[in-house]
Amino acid sequence: MTAAAIEARGLGKDFGSIRALDQLDLDVREGEFFGLLGPNGAGKTTTVHLLATLLAPTRGTARVGGHDVARDDLAVRRVIGLVFQDTTLDRDLTVQENLRFAARLWNLPGRLAVPRIEALVRQFGLFERRADPVRTLSGGMRRAADLARGMLHEPRVLFLDEPTAGLDPRARRSLWDLIRRLRQASGLTVFLTTHYVEEAEPCDRVAVMDHGRLVALGTPADLKRTTGVGSLEEVFLARTGHPLAETGAG
Amino acid sequence: MRAVYGIVVRELVRFRRQRARVLASIGRPFVWLIFAGAGYAAVFAGRNEIDYRVYMAPGLLGMVVMFGALLAALSTVTDRDAGVLRMVLVAPIRRSTIALGKALGATVLGTTQAVVVAALLLPLVHLRPSLADGLLAGLALVLSSLALGAVGLVLAASIRSLENFAGVMNFVVFPMLFLSGALYPVRHLGPVLRLVAYVNPLAYGVDLLKHALLGAWAGAGYAGELSPWLDVAALAGFAVAGLVAAAPLLAREGGVTRTAFRERA
Repeated sequence: MTAAAIEARGLGKDFGSIRALDQLDLDVREGEFFGLLGPNGAGKTTTVHLLATLLAPTRGTARVGGHDVARDDLAVRRVIGLVFQDTTLDRDLTVQENLRFAARLWNLPGRLAVPRIEALVRQFGLFERRADPVRTLSGGMRRAADLARGMLHEPRVLFLDEPTAGLDPRARRSLWDLIRRLRQASGLTVFLTTHYVEEAEPCDRVAVMDHGRLVALGTPADLKRTTGVGSLEEVFLARTGHPLAETGAG
Repeated sequence: MRAVYGIVVRELVRFRRQRARVLASIGRPFVWLIFAGAGYAAVFAGRNEIDYRVYMAPGLLGMVVMFGALLAALSTVTDRDAGVLRMVLVAPIRRSTIALGKALGATVLGTTQAVVVAALLLPLVHLRPSLADGLLAGLALVLSSLALGAVGLVLAASIRSLENFAGVMNFVVFPMLFLSGALYPVRHLGPVLRLVAYVNPLAYGVDLLKHALLGAWAGAGYAGELSPWLDVAALAGFAVAGLVAAAPLLAREGGVTRTAFRERA
């Protein structure tokens, strides 16, 4: 039995009277590729922000990399990487300036940061564009730069919150190539949120969420077998009574 | 602290890229000197106590500090809109470190701009402060930038979006400028406005600058009106209070998730 990278116990969050996340119990193993599948407004981003210590839980507890998210938020933030739905890079700075800025925020000394930044921009196909302002980069390259920023401090757990939102199919494929290579190289735990079934398909395990609740959890194959259907889309429909593609309903 | 340094460096790099902002901040006090100076100088004329343009000099430096530091701190609003603030919030640093970095960035920017303007402005109005007075003026610039940067952070954290920015300009920046003693002595104001002036950090900064630069006119009542020690203490107080108040506001849930959630819910 491998150690748990993420454990949530009764984790929940309310925004005023809105119950964004009800009561989540979840264990993600070290090195696992874990997917959180659900429509927009299902509570996926809230879950990620709770686990990443950006939000304080209303109820329950969670540990990430062995650290309690409420009591030891700095330790949690030290061991995680987080790529948001939208870019967090400063569009007016160059790729390299952004990565140097991030390196300082993560307290990496220059002698460590400089070679690491160089290796990352090469690995992520940004070397030619490293001195260009982020503003001038394509959406796919920006996301690759975001991912480089998230990997700079060599996190043990990488959160990807709808990482391919707004990307064209080619940029999407190349981003997934990058993520696959990162996982193979380092045994990184990846926690992905998505509303695309095809992105959840390659996950080791998938948690299906709807209206702030966990409705199913298992390997994609098990979910389909136990539900008696052929696709994760149908799993969602069977477990919730409504189709996954109906987005924006919250 | 490396993170604080990183935040300051980013502010400087951004400022250097914005040519228009640099030129505006350097040019603004001279526009005031020429146009407001001409008008008020005519009103002041005949009293022969002080050339209004000389009287204006410390206030104009205070104005440079205000625009420089306040606008730098208010860039936190842009950071939040553009998502950059989230990169900072997910870094393993305390909220107070972020506030300190932003305030020090504002301090460096405000002070640098004011020093550049002072180097051009003071010879122009024939003010030649002694070394000691020059150092006191420098201290005034640094402390005022820090205090305004910290207060600006609280404002930035309280503003929901850039649309409210015009409101801040009208109801904070301009009253702050006019009630600072930059353009006329605070003692001529009525009791209510004078009270407002004394909760204005810029008023203490300008007062300290007047102690440093207009000491020769102390007899005529144009130098600082308060004790310089009170000025220093008030500026330090605003800086500390601003930083303490801004730190928790920066991480407020609205900054990260809640707006995103509302948009979709």
